[in-house]
Amino acid sequence: MEKEIIYSRNVNENPCNMCMAMGGIIPFKGIEESMVIIHGSQGCSTYMRRHIAEHFNEPIDVGSSSLNEKGTIYGGGDNLKKAIDNIIKVYNPAIIGVLTTCLAETIGEDIDGIASEYLKEKELNNLPIITVSTPGYGNTHAEGYWAAVKRIVTNLAIKKEKGSKVNIIIPQLSPADIREIKRLLQLMEVQYTLLPDFSDTLDRPFERSYKKITKDGTKIKDIVEMPDAVATIQMGVTIEENYSPGKYLEDEFGVPLYNTPIPIGLENTDVFLSLLSQLTGKEVPEALKQERGRLLDCMIDSHKYNAQGTSAIFGEPELVFAATKMCCENGIKPAVVATGSKTAKLAELVKPLCGDASLLDEADFVSIRSISTEMKVNVAIGNSDGKYLTEKEGIPLVRFGFPIHDRIGGQRLLSVGYIGTTMFLDRVTNTLLENKYNNYRKEMYQKFYWEPKKKTLAVPGS
Amino acid sequence: MALDEKNLEAMLDQYPAKVKRNRKKHILITNSKEEQIIEANTRTIPGIITNRGCAYAGCKGVVLGPLKDIVHITHGPIGCGYYSWLTRRNKAKTEEPGKNFLTYCVSTDMQESDIVFGGEKKLSKVIDETVSIFKPNAITINATCPVGLIGDDIQAVAKEAEKKHGITIMAFSCEGYKGVSQSAGHHIANNGLMDQIIGDGELEEGPKGKYCINILGEYNIGGDSWEIERIMKKIGYHIQAVMSGDGSYEELKNAHVADLNLVMCHRSINYIAEMLDKKYGTPWLKVNFIGVQSTINTLRNMALYFGDQKLIDKTEEVISSELAKIEPQLESYKKICAGKTAFCFVGGSRGHHYQALYQDLGIETTLAGYEFAHRDDYEGRDIISEIKGDADSRNIPDLEVTPDDKRFRLKISPERLEKLKEQIPLSNYKGMIPEMKDGRVVVDDLNHFETEEFIKALNPDIFSSGIKDKYIVQKMGIPSKQLHNYDYSGPYAGFNGAVNFAKDLSMSFESPTWNFIIPPWRETPLLEGSIEEGEA
Ligand code: SF4
Ligand code: SF4
Repeated sequence: MEKEIIYSRNVNENPCNMCMAMGGIIPFKGIEESMVIIHGSQGCSTYMRRHIAEHFNEPIDVGSSSLNEKGTIYGGGDNLKKAIDNIIKVYNPAIIGVLTTCLAETIGEDIDGIASEYLKEKELNNLPIITVSTPGYGNTHAEGYWAAVKRIVTNLAIKKEKGSKVNIIIPQLSPADIREIKRLLQLMEVQYTLLPDFSDTLDRPFERSYKKITKDGTKIKDIVEMPDAVATIQMGVTIEENYSPGKYLEDEFGVPLYNTPIPIGLENTDVFLSLLSQLTGKEVPEALKQERGRLLDCMIDSHKYNAQGTSAIFGEPELVFAATKMCCENGIKPAVVATGSKTAKLAELVKPLCGDASLLDEADFVSIRSISTEMKVNVAIGNSDGKYLTEKEGIPLVRFGFPIHDRIGGQRLLSVGYIGTTMFLDRVTNTLLENKYNNYRKEMYQKFYWEPKKKTLAVPGS
Repeated sequence: MALDEKNLEAMLDQYPAKVKRNRKKHILITNSKEEQIIEANTRTIPGIITNRGCAYAGCKGVVLGPLKDIVHITHGPIGCGYYSWLTRRNKAKTEEPGKNFLTYCVSTDMQESDIVFGGEKKLSKVIDETVSIFKPNAITINATCPVGLIGDDIQAVAKEAEKKHGITIMAFSCEGYKGVSQSAGHHIANNGLMDQIIGDGELEEGPKGKYCINILGEYNIGGDSWEIERIMKKIGYHIQAVMSGDGSYEELKNAHVADLNLVMCHRSINYIAEMLDKKYGTPWLKVNFIGVQSTINTLRNMALYFGDQKLIDKTEEVISSELAKIEPQLESYKKICAGKTAFCFVGGSRGHHYQALYQDLGIETTLAGYEFAHRDDYEGRDIISEIKGDADSRNIPDLEVTPDDKRFRLKISPERLEKLKEQIPLSNYKGMIPEMKDGRVVVDDLNHFETEEFIKALNPDIFSSGIKDKYIVQKMGIPSKQLHNYDYSGPYAGFNGAVNFAKDLSMSFESPTWNFIIPPWRETPLLEGSIEEGEA
């Protein structure tokens, strides 16, 4: 690669993000008995299923309206109705999500109109069809995810009477993370509705009889009742207001909104638990205090190694923020903090933590790579696509986020809470240690015995 | 277990009536006493969860993607490009340093404003940047759905850029809504390569004293074509070009010099094979390097085509030395595999090819099918004239070729050709069905619902397909073998590949994991009798 960094390029070379519809599928997988249809030509849905399946190692059933050339001229209403029909017959879902693609958006499909027409024609009063506009050119999968969660809430939520539950709205975490958050909530004795809950649907235990869709996931009834909650905790400090389901619940129904970071890192977990404690009036139990103590112990043990860490962190804004926080807490210096999303918020939030890091939005891996080498990054934290940094520059990668397609177990990676943070931090520390040991001899040799040659510039494809 | 027409009816009854009528035409139980017709290459019904992709996937993802010294630009929003980024596990090495672009995903990353105001300007800027960053031997531009709709003239942009940069720049209008599957994209890619690359080179003939061949429709998944090339080179063939696994612009432009074209995947590449025949007078031979016996048959057929006794002898010598090496290795695996049954549902040729390898190992294929093949891949080329086009197939332009004034050269006399045709599959493919035993199920465009139903009905020991259906099958307690990307294993082609495959299958059959499915408390009451301390 040429050495100069070209910041204002048109080309996106090795993207750091996927498209909106991809992200929109995930929340629907976290609702009981739900199915999703992608309105467009069938390639999009096939590609997305493939990538989601590879990450979660689970079957991913997503329908497509299979638009053809004729549909692009005369509209795809008939195709979409047929798709809904067949999905109902084979899956009998309790709720259906319809997501658009670039194709549907470009030809200006009125999916809301088509969906309500369908329901009227079939006299179906009890089947919510939730439409979400997710053009691939609109934004990234991260925003697609939030757009879907928001539409789910705006479509279903109905105010009844004041309840006692707390709404917990989460970004795309691993199923293991969701299970851990639920455990924390249980230990704190909180009544809650967690949306979307794909902890079981996308990490399903092996059972003898295979079921296409299950009753696992957030209950539709619970989503309907979200306006009755005493508060909403939304792990969404980086999301823009127009994508925020919590903001909607606050504006529309007066449910107080607490936007908090994902509880990754000691302080972020403290914030989450204190908030729960404050909302419920219950004390943080002994068991969790012990877990906090153990994390602190881990941080004390590891800080000397981690102080030698310089990191590049990339992926979805919300995850990037939390991981950056964790790094800073233990002295791992973030040098590149990057996301493929268009967002100014991440940079705003990260600046006070590590002002001298390069903060990139709408990033691709070429920009991440060139700054990482310049800043002598020695650990990368993010999804599998960062393997490129390892292959080209020898920067080891701690896999975190989505997608993880070149290793097994992305769905089981635990990073939230005190326990998860301990495990996550250990993964980072051990990666730094391994790298150090691997390079130790080489470095000593180079330091004392070796005359450096002129460095040859790497070329693309090398 | 077998399936008869009655259970098949019952299974399909779960569909809405219209869907049932449609799907029935795509499924048959083989019966050699009847003339059987299967419907294929028609549009998947909306809402039926198919494994098929789109024309863009077939063009950029399958055929063009593996050409390593070309940068493939996806013109469109980011998703399509991202999703086709190195997903097929094509392998490539390169002699030219810095001229392997396989690991790059290059996209114009269209934004809303590009959709509204058009993306031509951005595309030409991206081409300029691509040339300056990569200095590739050629560039392809691959259109995704929105491009056709907003009317970007990518052909014109490519022409302009070609003039400016002095390298071959090709535009492919492979919008995903064209055709019914990847297949449309193969066709579009084939036309483009034929029109703009093949024949562009200066060579007039291959190396002296060597039989010169091209391998068509081989994509080097998991290193397959390297194993094939190893065997060929041992015999003494010269391989001019592989389309397109580990292939390159540099080799491809001289593909016209070959004396014979081998066709591995009939579906994705038969168009080029036919056009090469017409334009340069080079016949094609249907080959199959998957399976020990079919590899042997293929090598013998090739030798027979050239009809040179020395080559025939050398072929036999290589076959025996290869067999001597692999047979002892295969023996123990065969014991594990014998008597098992398999489902074999893959793209457009492997659904057929792998049945041969299964047979070598003593495994019966009870269900087979293709994701995006046409009727001729099932029933053989004889029925091509019967296939009626529909709106979906008509929107893919055909390329008319005529004999090349300078380079057309009959490679073999018409008389000999006719005689050979009776012995070997020369410019012919008989399809999958005639090679299957009676009473087997053939399914076109198998979907998630049917996968589950057929597994329940036929209970295979192994299911070979792709990543999208793999997890359903495994959740049902049946091992799966991905035949699209080989589960990060391979090669499976040729002699050594057969051993790899046998080993991988045996490992699946023998894995202790399956023993734990039923927990002890379900089988026998726990703690029958008493456990004495210290005894265990
Ligand atoms: S938008 Fe079109 S080209 Fe892109 S993946 Fe979807 S169907 Fe294929
Ligand atoms: S970017 Fe648009 S066209 Fe491409 S896969 Fe995503 S939704 Fe489909």
